[in-house]
Amino acid sequence: MSSDTFAPVEEKHYGRIRRLYHGLTTVDFVGRRKIWFSVSIAIIVLGMGSLAIRGFNLGIEFKGGSSWEVKAPNTSVATMTTAVEHAGLTNPGIEKLGSDTYQVTANINALSQTKQVAVTKAVVHAMAVVAKTDGNQVSTSNVGPTWGGQITNKAIEALIVFFIAVVAYISIRFEPKMAAAAFIAMVHDLLVTIGVYSIFGFQITPNTVIAILTILGYSLYDTVVVFDRVRDNTQGVLKSGDMTYSEMVNLSMNQTLARSINTSLVAILPVLSVLLIGADLLGATTLQDYGLALFVGLMSGAYSSIFIASPLLAVMKEREPRYRELAARVLNRTGRRTLTASSAALMVATVGEMNTRQSRSTGVSGTIQPRPRKQKRR
Amino acid sequence: MPPQVGSRRSLIVSLVLTIAIAFGSLAVTLSLGWGPKLGLDLAGGFSVVYKPTTPASTADMQEVVTILTNRVDGLGVSGAQVNLLGKNVVVSVPGVTDARAVLNAVGQTAQLLFRPVLCLASTGSNLKPLGTATLPTCAANYATTAANLNVNTSTGNSANIAPDPAFTNIASTKPKNDKKSDYVILPLLGGNGARYVLGPAQLTGHAVKKALAQQNQAGAWVVNYTLTKTGSPAWDAVAQKNFHQLLAIELDGVVQSAPLIQPTQATFTSFAGTGQISGSFTEASAKTLALAMNFGALPVRLQQLTYQTVSPSLGHSSLVAGLGAGMAGLALVLLYTILYYRALGLVIVLGLAVTAALLWAIISALGHTAFAPSFDLAGVTGLIVSIGITVDSYIVYFERLKDEARAGRSVRSSVDRGFRSAWRTVLAADTVSFLAALLLYIIAVGDVKGFAFFLGLSTILDVLITWYFTRPLVILLGRRGSSSTSKLSIAAGMHAGASSEQ
Repeated sequence: MSSDTFAPVEEKHYGRIRRLYHGLTTVDFVGRRKIWFSVSIAIIVLGMGSLAIRGFNLGIEFKGGSSWEVKAPNTSVATMTTAVEHAGLTNPGIEKLGSDTYQVTANINALSQTKQVAVTKAVVHAMAVVAKTDGNQVSTSNVGPTWGGQITNKAIEALIVFFIAVVAYISIRFEPKMAAAAFIAMVHDLLVTIGVYSIFGFQITPNTVIAILTILGYSLYDTVVVFDRVRDNTQGVLKSGDMTYSEMVNLSMNQTLARSINTSLVAILPVLSVLLIGADLLGATTLQDYGLALFVGLMSGAYSSIFIASPLLAVMKEREPRYRELAARVLNRTGRRTLTASSAALMVATVGEMNTRQSRSTGVSGTIQPRPRKQKRR
Repeated sequence: MPPQVGSRRSLIVSLVLTIAIAFGSLAVTLSLGWGPKLGLDLAGGFSVVYKPTTPASTADMQEVVTILTNRVDGLGVSGAQVNLLGKNVVVSVPGVTDARAVLNAVGQTAQLLFRPVLCLASTGSNLKPLGTATLPTCAANYATTAANLNVNTSTGNSANIAPDPAFTNIASTKPKNDKKSDYVILPLLGGNGARYVLGPAQLTGHAVKKALAQQNQAGAWVVNYTLTKTGSPAWDAVAQKNFHQLLAIELDGVVQSAPLIQPTQATFTSFAGTGQISGSFTEASAKTLALAMNFGALPVRLQQLTYQTVSPSLGHSSLVAGLGAGMAGLALVLLYTILYYRALGLVIVLGLAVTAALLWAIISALGHTAFAPSFDLAGVTGLIVSIGITVDSYIVYFERLKDEARAGRSVRSSVDRGFRSAWRTVLAADTVSFLAALLLYIIAVGDVKGFAFFLGLSTILDVLITWYFTRPLVILLGRRGSSSTSKLSIAAGMHAGASSEQ
């Protein structure tokens, strides 16, 4: 049978990008964990500091208040401001969304019910006049001060249930230590996103809260894919005795790096498009709320799956006696090793071969050079 | 245990079937002219959230939902939704152009009560609120008792009883003081100052199932109503107690009508669940009464927590923005995957086309059921996010293919083995994603439901498409690739370093 075969990888010398493409990068994810962790801790500390000092920029859903929106192609913020102030708003916030939509916000909850209705009517009328349209073209929203709080409470409820379910699922499907690492990575994303929102003063709306929940799901999704590979690779690690757990995690990370980067790019591209095209160009505020939180969260999620979850897993696993013993054995035999291109390639080949041995029935016709067997382990 | 990848024949069947189902269902929904049920932020409309002023049981709140649904339906707007959100009620009515008018009608936090009329009250020019004093009782000669009314059963007419002057200077009871168990003075709707002195409510709007304004055989307007199963005996008891007397129908502090009970009958007979109110109705007043009776009595008073109206033009531009952003994002992703995976990128393009066709068909079909949440901006965002998850399944598979190839395996065996390991990963990852969507959907508030629903839906589709479409397509391509030198072969797709024939 004629078949496609691939030359043994060791013979190839690739550039940086090609190495990434072929999963032959040699980034020491576990060894340099102090760097990754420091970066995260710095961002989180900064964010929490900002939170303590400045707090959040909460939307009207949390503070209570009213907002009006109208499409008005031929006017200016100044004209709109004058018009709504004339209609009875004191200190209104006027914002231009996209190319021709104006949003007016003000808190009129302190007024009496009848006064509120009157002011709302007057503002709608004033905005309609400025926009040269009728009152039905003005969108309004009024929020009591407790509304946003209720949504947040629900969100926190969902978050806790989600955490429990996820930790349970990963513990069963994978193992408890992976669940712990994934959990910490999720908390990391939560803290980073909250911090970034406080540092940059982005407005928090219920949509933001929702988007953050989704992000946690996505970040976890990303982590699960990496862990799936780690589990695959580490299944035979104790038996073969060639590599430590950390090295195996490193190898898995490098193997899935192309996939991790691709996945993150593929997820971030549409979100970026939501943010830039949907919200900025076309002025849909809801899209902006979602897009911004998703963007920040996805970046943090991509980072945490690669730089937080896996190194953490390695650290936790290396504490197990059997893996500590394994590490000592490997070190003893090979001396202190550094991960180089050729050793990574060698490892790839080994893993490939290990898999082959597990299921010969598939009928392999490749011409891989088997690595010379080391002496049997004691 | 790894799943079997299947014979060539079954792979082809699965592939062809998937494509046929996807595009077939799309064609069907398009030819039926079905479209997604747009949410109010896309179609324009309003939503309002009410909170009970006093702690209420879930059963009470569920009744509120039923009654509000009747109210909204009674206004003749379509696509309205009334949902419970914790102990709050959310009313959303998409697609109305005159949102404000509808909002006012639904916003009435009315209670419908049936009270016995004790006597009519005269109206002076110097009305004063009663304060803490109790109402005087109706004088015997002014009381609207059966004896005083002296109903003529052959004509159905009754004696005219003058208003009791004792009430001349007492103002009508204010709605906020209008308690069910109190004696009150209330004005008659459009009654030119006519007022009634009423006893404690004997029945609430719970009893009424449905009321309709109709013309009788003589062409006069009447209101026909049916009673609920439990309401029917209660109504009979009240009617018997007030036989040949006036029973006032009160909605939110205004007497809508005060009909005489069975004036053409000598003795009381059971209403048996239905009844008719006749009198000097105009079409408008009959409809108003029917609407009022349909409005029903809310078991609790509601307070408006938040409301939102979206103008149709803003909704439309949001829809354009959402779809535009989605399309642009999709195009970017496709461009990237084709650049990165070459021929395999085309598999992703095809796969996304199949997914998109199925998704649109499902969303459109669901738009015709009451089950699915309407398709709003949050839902659009959910779908946009799901692009990432869907494409990732391909990436996981293709990266596995590269691994297998790197380990020196033939394309033919790579596609089989690669799929098996990728399938496990996709399942695990999609489970987590679906779990998140499901929990959000269950616990969700407001817009989140839509977001979670469409995210969950596309996650399920992703699993199905991966198994029934991607698997057969790539495996078939892989088998073909091993026996031909086609540029479309998997090897070309992976453009793995040394894929030349040896």
